[in-house]
Amino acid sequence: MMKKKYISFLLLVLIAGLWSCKDDKDSVFEQTADERLNATVTAYQKELSAAAYGWKGIMYPKGGGVYSFYFKFNEQNRVVMYSDFAPESAATPKESSYRIKAIQAPSLIFDTYSYLHVLADPDGAVNGGNDGDGLLSDYEFTFANDSLKTGNITLTGTKNFSRLVLVPATQEEAAAYGTGGLAKSLLFNNIAKYQTYFKRITIGGVIYEIAVNQNARTITLNWVTGTTVNTFTTDYYYTSTGISFITSFVNGSTTLNGFTGLTWDASSTLLSVTAAGTKTTIMEAAKPLKLDVGAARRWWNYAVNIGSYWESENGFHVNGVDDAFEVNKLQEGTSKFYRYIYYPQFGSDYDLFGPLFYTPEQSLELQYFDAVSTPPTFATDGRIIFKALGSSETYPTSGPVILSKNLFYDAIGFYLIQTSESTYDMVSAKDGKSWISWQ
Amino acid sequence: MNLKSIVHYLIPVVFLAAGLSSCKEDKLEGVEEISGLGGDTWTEGPLDIWLKDSLNTPFNIAMKYKWDQFEFSNIAATLVPAKEEQIIPLGRTIRKSWIEPYVAEAGLTFFNKYSPKVFILSGSVQYLSNGAYVLGQAEGGRKIVIFDVNNFRFRGQSGYVAARDSSKVKEFAHTLHHEFAHVLHQNTFYPVEFKTVTQGLYQGENWINISDTEARQDGFITPYASSGFDDDFVETVSIMLIEGRAGWETIINSIPPGFSANGTSQADAKAKLRRKEALVVNYFKTAWGIDFYSLQKKTRAALVPLL
Repeated sequence: MMKKKYISFLLLVLIAGLWSCKDDKDSVFEQTADERLNATVTAYQKELSAAAYGWKGIMYPKGGGVYSFYFKFNEQNRVVMYSDFAPESAATPKESSYRIKAIQAPSLIFDTYSYLHVLADPDGAVNGGNDGDGLLSDYEFTFANDSLKTGNITLTGTKNFSRLVLVPATQEEAAAYGTGGLAKSLLFNNIAKYQTYFKRITIGGVIYEIAVNQNARTITLNWVTGTTVNTFTTDYYYTSTGISFITSFVNGSTTLNGFTGLTWDASSTLLSVTAAGTKTTIMEAAKPLKLDVGAARRWWNYAVNIGSYWESENGFHVNGVDDAFEVNKLQEGTSKFYRYIYYPQFGSDYDLFGPLFYTPEQSLELQYFDAVSTPPTFATDGRIIFKALGSSETYPTSGPVILSKNLFYDAIGFYLIQTSESTYDMVSAKDGKSWISWQ
Repeated sequence: MNLKSIVHYLIPVVFLAAGLSSCKEDKLEGVEEISGLGGDTWTEGPLDIWLKDSLNTPFNIAMKYKWDQFEFSNIAATLVPAKEEQIIPLGRTIRKSWIEPYVAEAGLTFFNKYSPKVFILSGSVQYLSNGAYVLGQAEGGRKIVIFDVNNFRFRGQSGYVAARDSSKVKEFAHTLHHEFAHVLHQNTFYPVEFKTVTQGLYQGENWINISDTEARQDGFITPYASSGFDDDFVETVSIMLIEGRAGWETIINSIPPGFSANGTSQADAKAKLRRKEALVVNYFKTAWGIDFYSLQKKTRAALVPLL
């Protein structure tokens, strides 16, 4: 009996201990979670509006590319922006609304339409993306943890996880945005007006071939050391003083972060830039720096091996004009132009060159074509030269098809420039001023 | 078990019970610190003041133009906010083309009782996987979601081209009247006879493949009207209102002779639309005491200067 008694008292002490009622208010933190959250939101608000000269913003949408912005936030939920997306948004400031809100994490929401929303707009006509998606960008962001310590603010989009990095602007930069600096940097786009496919720039005594893809916002530099062709490609964006590379280019003692001091001479179609401290002019070139002698044969074999054809959306680009022969306006009966194609070994003894049409029922058809001698001539210097065998009876006698054909059979032929694993540009070897892009 | 042992067991139980009930109740503290409690706030600008004076105070209608993705039924949809310069012209159009005719015809009390109370704005349309897109949505008679606000060009705005842009404004008025008619029939149902007028000709989801003319040849005022009973009813109401009586006649008289793909004759199609018209007019009179033709006149008269 005695034993049981002790056991029950022991039980009492144990249970009473479990249910102890002392209200222990000592928290790890001195403030409640809500107080701390509010303090963080206020701190972000202060940080954004306190930057005396605003912020430079570099936006990386999920859909690719990189775009630059300038933001000036005030304490009344208003923000003024510039954007490098288009000449108008680079030149004209636009005011819109923003707010900082604790959703699941402290968030920055650009809550009325601004230049930032242009990238995210699901209307493809606004930004060149697909309808329903746009460029897969964002305008609602969460702050990264370290944003209050580093000076820069890193933001992550809540929908597409695009990245936006805010860097405090200097007084000079803020002034440059205000006086059209960003718009001036878009002069760089005039490089597309050069008539030749190949362009060269000399930096630090080295000749580089420069290629700019304005849609993807990439710059490629090629240079030769000995017999080797080296290649460097980087994303770029526009700043208040020029263009800036995402990846710096280093070659020996030359380091290139971008180009500044852009000037455009419209009358002579020449773009000058300051590169690595020296003013230099981008020049036309009729030939590549170094010929890729195997490219033409690779191009031809690629299609033969997979039993398919090369296609081009816009036909020939000539003297600075895309689709110079207006093949996109071709129409035969109710069928409309789809692609210009080159089909190696379409017949047992000929290759095919001509336009492909689509019918109202969305099926593809050939109305007429050129039979080309197979295989084409592969010159030892890398050129490809096509020779006519004949054409269909229904072949047109004038217009885009004849113009395309005449250029295609040019006796000097073409260079093939491999632009990716499965895309090539075919450039006139005569003057480098006309080309067709195959994919 | 003897008494003693019962006591021995009882004591701990009593202590235990006392322990459980002895806690002091805590006061609810710190709720005023919850972030965002009471809704979003921001510094009011001229736009907020205009909305308050023009829609909020007189009609108890809030136009929520600042972005809140959670107001949309599809919170994953890719959309963008409205442009600020669109808000006031849009608000004016809402007042002129929809609020004022109803208030003038049926009174402020009627209007404020049944009108949707919240407008949510999206700058873009919402694209659907079938290639169609959403221009407007009504939720529970309380909320109307307006899409594509950024592509509106109102009369007097720079870049307004009447030939291109007036149809957009008209389409918007159409959406408002369409959604409000939904609210009305959800409160008092339209006569069942309405469903029988074009029985067997409804197209359901296939409505997107039907042209205006094809729909009308079957006795539907628009392709969307052929998607189901309720939308047939509200499309009939809204087209009658925005087109006016003369415009409605023009549409009926434009039905081409011959038969539709479903075998409806021209005369039959016209008769079906006339029957629907009569049912709508009758419904507004009996259910709401509204003279529909008078409302139609006022609506059309208010809309014309906007086009």
